[in-house]
Amino acid sequence: MNNGSEMRRIVTAWVIVSVIGDLLWWFLVGPHVPPGNMTTSAHWNQFDFNILAITALPVVFMVWIWLGYAVVKWRDKPGVPEPLGGEAAKASRGVQVGWITITSTVVIAAAIYGTVALIGDHGSGGGEGPNPVWAPPGAIAANTAALAGKATWSPTGNQPLVVQVIAQQWKFTYRYPAFGGMETDRLVLPVKTVVVFDVTSLDVIHDFWAYQLSVKADANPGVNNVAFANTQQTGQFMVRCDELCGIWHGAMYNSGRVLSKTAFMAWATKTEAQNAQNTAFLPPFAWTYTPDANGASGGLYPDGNVTPYSPYDVYGAKQPAS
Amino acid sequence: MTDTYKDSLTAPNETPEEREYEFRAHIGAIWTGGRLAIGMATFLYASEAFAYFYLRTSNNSNLWRLPGQLAPLYYGWTVLICLLLMAGLANYGHRRLKKGYTNDFLVAGWTGVAAGLIALFFQIWELVVLPFYPGSSGYASTFIGFVVMNIMTIVFATYWMETTTTRAMRLRKELGGTNPELSSAYPARSFRANVASMSYYMGFVAIVSIMFFLMFYVA
Amino acid sequence: MTISAERPTEATAGTATPAGPRKGSSWTNRPGWMSQHLGTAIVLGFLGYLFGHWWGNYMASSYTYIANNGQNGVADFLGLLCMVIGWLLGIGALNYPILKLFGREPGEEAPAPGLSRYFRYTLDHKVVGMQYVVGVLLFLFTGGLLAMAIRTELLNPTVHIFNPGTYIEIVSEHGTIMMMMATSIVVGPLGNYLVPLMIGSRRMAFPRIEAFSFWIFSAGYLVIFSALFYGGFPTGWTGYAPLQNQAGPGMISYLFGFAVIGIGMMSAGFNILVTIVNYRAPGMTWSRVPMFVWSILATASLLTLATPVLFTAGLFGLLDHLVLTSFYVNEHGGSSYLWENLFWFFGHPEVYIMALPGFGIVAEIVPVFTRKPLFAYKVAAAGMMGVALLSFFVWQHHLFQSGINPDMRPLFMLTTELISIPTGFIYLVGMGSLYRGKMRLEVPMLFCLALYFNFLIGGITGVFLSDVPVNVTVHGSFFVLSHFHYTIMGGLVFAFMAGLYYWLPKMTGRMMNKKLGLWHFWTMFVFFNLTFFPMFIIGILGQPRRVFEYAHNLQGLNDFSSISAFCLGASFLLFFWNLMYSMIINPKKAPANPWESLGLEWQTANPVPLYNFERIPVIVTEPYRYSEPGAPAYADFGGGSAAGASTIGSSVQE
Repeated sequence: MNNGSEMRRIVTAWVIVSVIGDLLWWFLVGPHVPPGNMTTSAHWNQFDFNILAITALPVVFMVWIWLGYAVVKWRDKPGVPEPLGGEAAKASRGVQVGWITITSTVVIAAAIYGTVALIGDHGSGGGEGPNPVWAPPGAIAANTAALAGKATWSPTGNQPLVVQVIAQQWKFTYRYPAFGGMETDRLVLPVKTVVVFDVTSLDVIHDFWAYQLSVKADANPGVNNVAFANTQQTGQFMVRCDELCGIWHGAMYNSGRVLSKTAFMAWATKTEAQNAQNTAFLPPFAWTYTPDANGASGGLYPDGNVTPYSPYDVYGAKQPAS
Repeated sequence: MTDTYKDSLTAPNETPEEREYEFRAHIGAIWTGGRLAIGMATFLYASEAFAYFYLRTSNNSNLWRLPGQLAPLYYGWTVLICLLLMAGLANYGHRRLKKGYTNDFLVAGWTGVAAGLIALFFQIWELVVLPFYPGSSGYASTFIGFVVMNIMTIVFATYWMETTTTRAMRLRKELGGTNPELSSAYPARSFRANVASMSYYMGFVAIVSIMFFLMFYVA
Repeated sequence: MTISAERPTEATAGTATPAGPRKGSSWTNRPGWMSQHLGTAIVLGFLGYLFGHWWGNYMASSYTYIANNGQNGVADFLGLLCMVIGWLLGIGALNYPILKLFGREPGEEAPAPGLSRYFRYTLDHKVVGMQYVVGVLLFLFTGGLLAMAIRTELLNPTVHIFNPGTYIEIVSEHGTIMMMMATSIVVGPLGNYLVPLMIGSRRMAFPRIEAFSFWIFSAGYLVIFSALFYGGFPTGWTGYAPLQNQAGPGMISYLFGFAVIGIGMMSAGFNILVTIVNYRAPGMTWSRVPMFVWSILATASLLTLATPVLFTAGLFGLLDHLVLTSFYVNEHGGSSYLWENLFWFFGHPEVYIMALPGFGIVAEIVPVFTRKPLFAYKVAAAGMMGVALLSFFVWQHHLFQSGINPDMRPLFMLTTELISIPTGFIYLVGMGSLYRGKMRLEVPMLFCLALYFNFLIGGITGVFLSDVPVNVTVHGSFFVLSHFHYTIMGGLVFAFMAGLYYWLPKMTGRMMNKKLGLWHFWTMFVFFNLTFFPMFIIGILGQPRRVFEYAHNLQGLNDFSSISAFCLGASFLLFFWNLMYSMIINPKKAPANPWESLGLEWQTANPVPLYNFERIPVIVTEPYRYSEPGAPAYADFGGGSAAGASTIGSSVQE
């Protein structure tokens, strides 16, 4: 068998397998790939995953078919011709240049596509730190308003909803500045709404992972990590801690719900009234909270100028005068 | 395990050419090793500098540095001057050695070692007289980190200088004659390569000390 | 013109007056069991620990810093520090530096005869290589046992075998031990043993630093293992900061252990890098260096340059623990991001420290078994150096969700994906070398093919992880876990096994049993994939790493994975049995060149003499010229004829 027909066989097998594999993936597996369609980021992240998958599958099949063919045919057994030797076996300019060009193209295309997807989808639900660079329209304004105590939300308008996620060892709680700054231990969201998550932590690094929402943001102590989601479907979702945070890390999960706008409004007003007594004791809504010597949330170290902090009080007179 | 030593203990049957070839590799290794040591130390200090600038720019809880907080300046000056002196002496000694003044090298070497020891003493003692607590600010923390790193560097640099100096003295005893350090005997050539690498490394120490002095005591 | 002749040196060429190996000073060089060896190291290490602990308590008795624990952190740390120093003193690693301080310089010491040299501080790179084989296998089996414990706990989502504290201790210890092991698994045993043989050198550049690297590596094992006796550490191998500050005394073992291992990594890399640059045989230009040596060169440069950053990070952590600095404490002017940055700036090159030697092994072995030249030699070398270089610019892809520098994400996504180009070179080389070869499916070759199979999955999933949108779902989940097990275990450990089966006949003079080897290979390959492939699915179905409780619907997959993991563990027992059987119980003498390799390491006498080569070989052509009837031999050994010697001589004259 000559060289050409051998290559033709391999390529034919590869094309057939790749096309079948890609079609199967796209139509059978793809629609079921998590995280689903609960938010726009979930939808686009699923789409990205599938795009990468159908790009990756032909690569995988190429290597596997090549390996398989080599093991079966180019093997030390009677009747197999002597191995290729000499310069042809050492290098082939065409193959090398082709390989480098194709891999570079694919890789750079993947990076460009990833960037477009990331920016177009407003950070894809990932935590963007205290100053998000890719935000949905109105989200930053809503978030700034929340700090000033002017957050509002109503089922009729189209405002983004600001929710603060506070992680601590080993639970998540959520504050709703639009509803009097109430704090709940259950995450409830309205559908068809841009949600701004302000993720922070009281102790160690946690990670807020709302799985079906496709939101993941590290909860760092003393840092506000902002992520966005645009809810599209009602239903239940899972919240897990995704960064090792100590011995009960494995048990740090709960679930949340996306409700219709009116149902959410009803829940929120009811809960706000129920929690009013507790809310009165909470510190004012802020990006971060630092528990001081009096215990969690008893007071604030300065983030802004809430309480002036004097190191001299803490460290005594050993400080040199400025 | 099979015994790989049975027949080979006595002689590798080296020809003079082979010996010279390996010896040149050895000299090259000293050259490469000295530069690589600088590369490693660069990464070490670079990560310290990274910590300094990272904490400085993030200024968490407004606690990069308390007002008026400064490490003991005179200690800083002393350490800096001693290290610069040491580096200068290493370079001076190396140049004099190349010109054939081997006694100058010895004097420079021992003075440099003394300077290194003084720097070491003051660098350690500085920790005792610090006017701030280690955890009082980001500046205080990075300063402590820098001091520990600097202690390691001073110990290493002084050790290197001391061993090259004692090595020069041993060479005199071993090889005899006038200026045996400058002969073409293997130990002497290896010694000279070592001195060259050492004085190079000292140059690096000098640059780093100035940079970090500026960072911690001036800026 | 040879390499060394180009190097600027202070030395003036002149008439050589060879100074023969000097006699070492007597007390460092006593023969037999009366001198320094493993026993004295253990005794002095133990005494050192006691002394350090006493010293710490004496100095800082009122200083019970560590939270929720009456322990004195200073005493714990000084105990470990003095243990390491005692260990090094006991083994004799510090004799030379101390003597040097007094102007004495022991020459090359006569190595102790027989088996006892394997328990000593020795200057023979081959002995150090064998010591490393035992050392890394100890690490590997310890970490492996812990992995079995993890999988046992994960058999059921809610019924627990360990309490959560013990579980997290096991997880952290497994990760840390394995990561430390993996940094040295190839560079240590195979790198130290084979690099001088492959570059035609009689010795390492700094044999004392080399031996030091092994003994401090083994001290690192003791330090990291001691964490178990201190109640472990709850942070995983990544040791993220506020949790690190919160943790008990086991954290000191972790931080100090990484610093100790870091010193070992730096010294091992330093010695090997300098050796490869300077000690290549005459005629071995950079285009004639074997691929394995290229990969070790790339690895060594990462080891020397990236590890200092780890050392600094560990030092800061220790200072935070012991003298209450606030490097990683946000509330006191520090930053928890500082640790993340420093750690991953080291951590990502570290990942390639683990991948590159594996590539080198397969590139070295595949041509032997396909009886073909290596395809695209230059591309392979460029790929390895390219991976090494790029690995310094990708570290923030571990921090895509951490909230730092969102605007830098596209850049780090790009650099991370760019790294798959040089990695792809390795596949081009491998696939090209298979093309129309005449493959001999021996056990080492099977392991190489398995590497191509496994690493492909590991590498491709890496592209998924580097894509920021997809990363939102898979970051920190079992998907990542599976990804890096596919690259490190499926890549590096499989390559290490290939290397052992391939080179043990050289290193020990005994063949590994082929039948047992085949059993070992197939069980390991099949159960490795059955263990870790389901974890990709578990991961995208939403199970985070390092948890002891998970969703009920994932129990089926987890159980499948666990049971496969036990079988995988059993395959390692098969390997261990094969090792014992072929090396000790029923040793079969290996032929001089059982695989008919053209590599230089197979051309020396077997067993390898102390100085490796009777004559320094002169390299006359590029490596891997298989199936080329007229090709000259790779190296000219002189063989007493004037040819070799005169070549060396003429090169020296230039």
